[in-house]
Amino acid sequence: MIPVRSYLRLLADYLRRQKLRVASLTITLFTAIGLTLVGPQLVRSFLDRAIEGSPVDELIPLAVWFMVIAVLQQVFNVTATYLAEQVGWTATNEMRADLAAHVLNLDMGFHKEHTPGEMIERIDGDVTAQADFFSAFAIRVLGNSILMVGVMVLLWRENMWVGLGITLFFMVALGAMLRIQAWAVPLWKKVRARSAELMGLIGEQLGGTEDIRGNGGVGYMMRRFTEILRAWLPDQVMGRMGFSALWGTSIANYIVGTVLVFWLGSFFFNEGTLTLGSVYLIFSYTEMSRRPMEQIREQMERFQKAAAGISRVQGLFDRTSVLDTSGTEVIPEGALRVELDDVVFGYDDDVVLDRVSLDLAPDRILGVLGRSGSGKTTMARLLTRLYDPIEGSVRLGGVEIRGAEIHSLRRRVGMVTQDVQLFRATIRDNLTFFDETIPDSRLHEVLDELGLTEWLATMPEGLDTRLEAGGAGLSAGQAQLLAFTRIFLENPGLVILDEASSRLDPATEKLIERAVDRLLADRTGIIIAHRLATVTRADDILILEDGRVIEYGERVTLAADPESRLSHLLVTGMEEVLA
Amino acid sequence: MTTRKSSLPVLRLMFGLIRVAPGWYVANIFLWTSIWVIPVVPALITRRFFDDLGTAGFNPATLIALLVGYGLARLGVMFTAMWNDVNFMFRVSSTLRRNMLERIFDLPGAQSVKEASGEVISRFRDDVEHVEEATSMTVDLAGTALFGLVAASVLTAIDGQLTLLVFAPLLFMVVVAERAGTRIRRYRNAAREATERITGALGEMYGAVQSIKVAGVEKPMIEHFKRLNHERRKMMVRDKVLTAALESIFWNTLSIGTGLILIFAAGDIGREGGLTVGEFALFVFFLDYITDAGWFIGAFIARFKQAGVSFERMFGLMHTDDPMLLTEKRELHLHGDLPVAVTPAHDARLDKLEVRGLNFRYPGTPNGIENIDLTLERGSFTVVTGKIGSGKTTLLRTILGLVDSDGGAVLWNGEEITDRDDFFVPPRSAYTPQVPKLFSMSLRENLLLGRDESDEEIDGAIRSAALDRDVAHMPEGLDTLVGPLGMRLSGGQIQRTAAARMFVRDPELLVFDDLSSALDVDTEKTLWERLFIEHAESTALVVSHRRPALQRADQIIVLDAGRVVATGKLEDLLETSPEFRDLWETEAEGNGNGNASGRPRSRSRNGLVV
Repeated sequence: MIPVRSYLRLLADYLRRQKLRVASLTITLFTAIGLTLVGPQLVRSFLDRAIEGSPVDELIPLAVWFMVIAVLQQVFNVTATYLAEQVGWTATNEMRADLAAHVLNLDMGFHKEHTPGEMIERIDGDVTAQADFFSAFAIRVLGNSILMVGVMVLLWRENMWVGLGITLFFMVALGAMLRIQAWAVPLWKKVRARSAELMGLIGEQLGGTEDIRGNGGVGYMMRRFTEILRAWLPDQVMGRMGFSALWGTSIANYIVGTVLVFWLGSFFFNEGTLTLGSVYLIFSYTEMSRRPMEQIREQMERFQKAAAGISRVQGLFDRTSVLDTSGTEVIPEGALRVELDDVVFGYDDDVVLDRVSLDLAPDRILGVLGRSGSGKTTMARLLTRLYDPIEGSVRLGGVEIRGAEIHSLRRRVGMVTQDVQLFRATIRDNLTFFDETIPDSRLHEVLDELGLTEWLATMPEGLDTRLEAGGAGLSAGQAQLLAFTRIFLENPGLVILDEASSRLDPATEKLIERAVDRLLADRTGIIIAHRLATVTRADDILILEDGRVIEYGERVTLAADPESRLSHLLVTGMEEVLA
Repeated sequence: MTTRKSSLPVLRLMFGLIRVAPGWYVANIFLWTSIWVIPVVPALITRRFFDDLGTAGFNPATLIALLVGYGLARLGVMFTAMWNDVNFMFRVSSTLRRNMLERIFDLPGAQSVKEASGEVISRFRDDVEHVEEATSMTVDLAGTALFGLVAASVLTAIDGQLTLLVFAPLLFMVVVAERAGTRIRRYRNAAREATERITGALGEMYGAVQSIKVAGVEKPMIEHFKRLNHERRKMMVRDKVLTAALESIFWNTLSIGTGLILIFAAGDIGREGGLTVGEFALFVFFLDYITDAGWFIGAFIARFKQAGVSFERMFGLMHTDDPMLLTEKRELHLHGDLPVAVTPAHDARLDKLEVRGLNFRYPGTPNGIENIDLTLERGSFTVVTGKIGSGKTTLLRTILGLVDSDGGAVLWNGEEITDRDDFFVPPRSAYTPQVPKLFSMSLRENLLLGRDESDEEIDGAIRSAALDRDVAHMPEGLDTLVGPLGMRLSGGQIQRTAAARMFVRDPELLVFDDLSSALDVDTEKTLWERLFIEHAESTALVVSHRRPALQRADQIIVLDAGRVVATGKLEDLLETSPEFRDLWETEAEGNGNGNASGRPRSRSRNGLVV
């Protein structure tokens, strides 16, 4: 069945906000429908009077009125369309924004499982289907249903048996349509899923053309493309057959309806209870409701898409973040104390962090060392609360971060990762994340502090320079400089540099060093590095191995102890250099 | 591009698409023409009904039986036509998608796609759909024409003057549709672009979800998204209202047509020698269908124009002068056996690679490389180094043909390579870009990309890439799914997976761009060691500024502002090149390994010594 209830529940919220528009839409729609019903009545009078032999100048006004009413009806119809579109798009815009925000706030575990291409399908594809459907629903489905009710009432007035016959016919026809629709929706769902699958694949491939070409993988990727097509074709055919079945119902309806008119019409005409004009009236009303039925039927295709879409939209809304973000506590100002107590964490069954504890005093700098995969990055993710630990607790400035207001928490923690993500937008928007409230003067100030003013001057249009997809045109190092600027715009109490300098050129690193000095001044810092030198500025050192802390202490003390891991690492470094 | 006239031969392109599945198309013509023409039957039945209704003892049984027979025939034709059409359309859309994708793979890798991924997806999805619909609609043209002819002859037989009254509005409608078409196209385009901006923004937003979360900037991002939505609403409403207004013109013609018939027939309708009620019903019936046909033609013109825009947008992805590449027919392999991918035999021995006078400049910027010469001997290890923005990555890309060079040559064993982009593939070479990309498949599939190496060979490659320990820790091993863009792996694991992906191909020439940037000391050391031992035969060209790489290099190329400022071995360069000394020493400062002797360093910052 149509998920009307979930549909209405979801849309009702969004419609309530535009009561006035919805009201004018209703009035316009009813006026248009009323006018539509008048037309055939005029034709009936015309025919009956013509047959009776009324003079031409009595007939002509009827024909003229017929035309005037037809034109008026169209004016109301266009107005109704305008209103319905406004209502529909306004409602779905809000729904789309809410859904986008909802998904954005879902945990990283969710985002690891779902490609951005898939989110485009859900948030734009599925929600837009609602907009299409809603405007069509108001005009075509709702309006036409009311029109058909009007037709039934008028037919009952003509002749009870005709009215009864046509009413029964409408009910059976509609019932058949709904049944067939219920069968067809899942078929369309499959088609949409196939389309999403293919688009997901294409999106990913387009991002990696260099990798695919450079490693001779083109043939393989094309083969995967073909495999998806092969699976898609039978589903597509079945989807279309579902749609054909609906069209078939409407053909059958036409036949049954006309047969009914022929039979009932000739019976009561022969009986003498109906005039020729009245039979024509019944005929044209039945004909007239054929088009609304066709239109309702045409909307079925959208209906199917929308119905399939709405359940996915609802599904997304129902999906909750595994992170409880109801916390309201405020992280204190200034440099933050960082405490981890017996923290255990794993992504699936894999334990990534195993009873990690640390206590970093405000204003101190911690260097974290370890092999890749030892859990360093994960630790950073726990501090920004991208994930919650399975056991143990994380406190910033003495506040258990599960209880903290999440956005303010993240604004108090500045993190630069190795993979800088840029938008296809101006440099300004890339720095501010499209926040229009940040003035250019502030950006220039920060860029100046970073020593990037000169670099910005080489950009053809300064802050207005548009970056291409994926930040093309910028080197990875330059992109990282932008990422630094981003966190400079905030005033974090904890700065996490996750291999921040790993892709920087040595010369550029110097430039960054100065900026990092400023950034770490009066702040707590955690520098996650693969190399020892990156942590020369650290006060404390923590070494991770397979998710366990194998060494933690003051850097100077550890370096002086020949038995320490740090010393061992220094030796490894020496060997390597001497090799 | 919004209002530019389409320069593409739209008709030829559509014809090209028809040739993709000619059998299906011809069947479509017959089936859909029948669908258009057979409603003449119920029209005639209706006329009979109203004309005979007045006669004594009229029994509608025969007419009813005829009507039911018609209904069954129409259902049969309709189902067949739909089944045929979906098959035709699927072949058309698949061909378009396949051709675009193949062409994109065919382009120099680094230049292939400039648009944001959401925008490209919109072309692969929406524009393809527009074109496939327009192409499928062409079959209805014959149907509408034939239906028009039949209707005209039936009606003229009744009353020629009235028939003219029926057809005149039809002509009017087509003209209106044609004129309004340009405007519709413009609005539709604007609406489409607004949609593209939205899908683009969504794609980027969820691609950068971690950055957004970490920066706590969900709100401004959503505000930005709302602004884009608001823009689109305006475009969409304008488009839809115009379409509705056009539609209402057609409706009005129907009503005005009926009104006109009434006025003209007012004097004699239902009387001796005049228009019978049955004939009146017939006129109105056809008026209805002709309005449908007129509306269809209008819609088709609009769709056809839209297809022109869509063709142009798809074509824009392909960077070619030959539009027919878009509709090129080749087997789609929708049924039957899939062709087996052939791994080329290893006969590509490299003795010497030479680069002569190579130039490249990113259009509109001062960045690029200038007049580069270098030579790589078999089995040698060459490291390209330099400051940020000095052109290291650009040099690799230009040599490999991932961007189109502005002059210069690359010679393989002394012979100039004409199409470097196609030439530099396994087994000749393999390449890993600075930010390697993985795909949402299993680890094994990511490594092989369709090759058929055994698990032992894969294990070898994984070992060489120092990824063996990581894989051993994964519960699913090689079958581990790496997630979209490899997101389930760490940065270092992605880099080493990319390295293993090269090694498994055992190419003559290995090209890495900054491979070890996310690796720790031990892992990096292991990686280089194994590379030297297990791939000693391979020639390597590497961008790096890390000491372990520089120390092993047979040749170091120092770039500055796109030019080679020094070439040589480590010891020579330390003596002769001040630029290199700068780099080397900064690297020492930035890298604890640089504290080679363990002696307190004079250069260490903040007076701290590790």
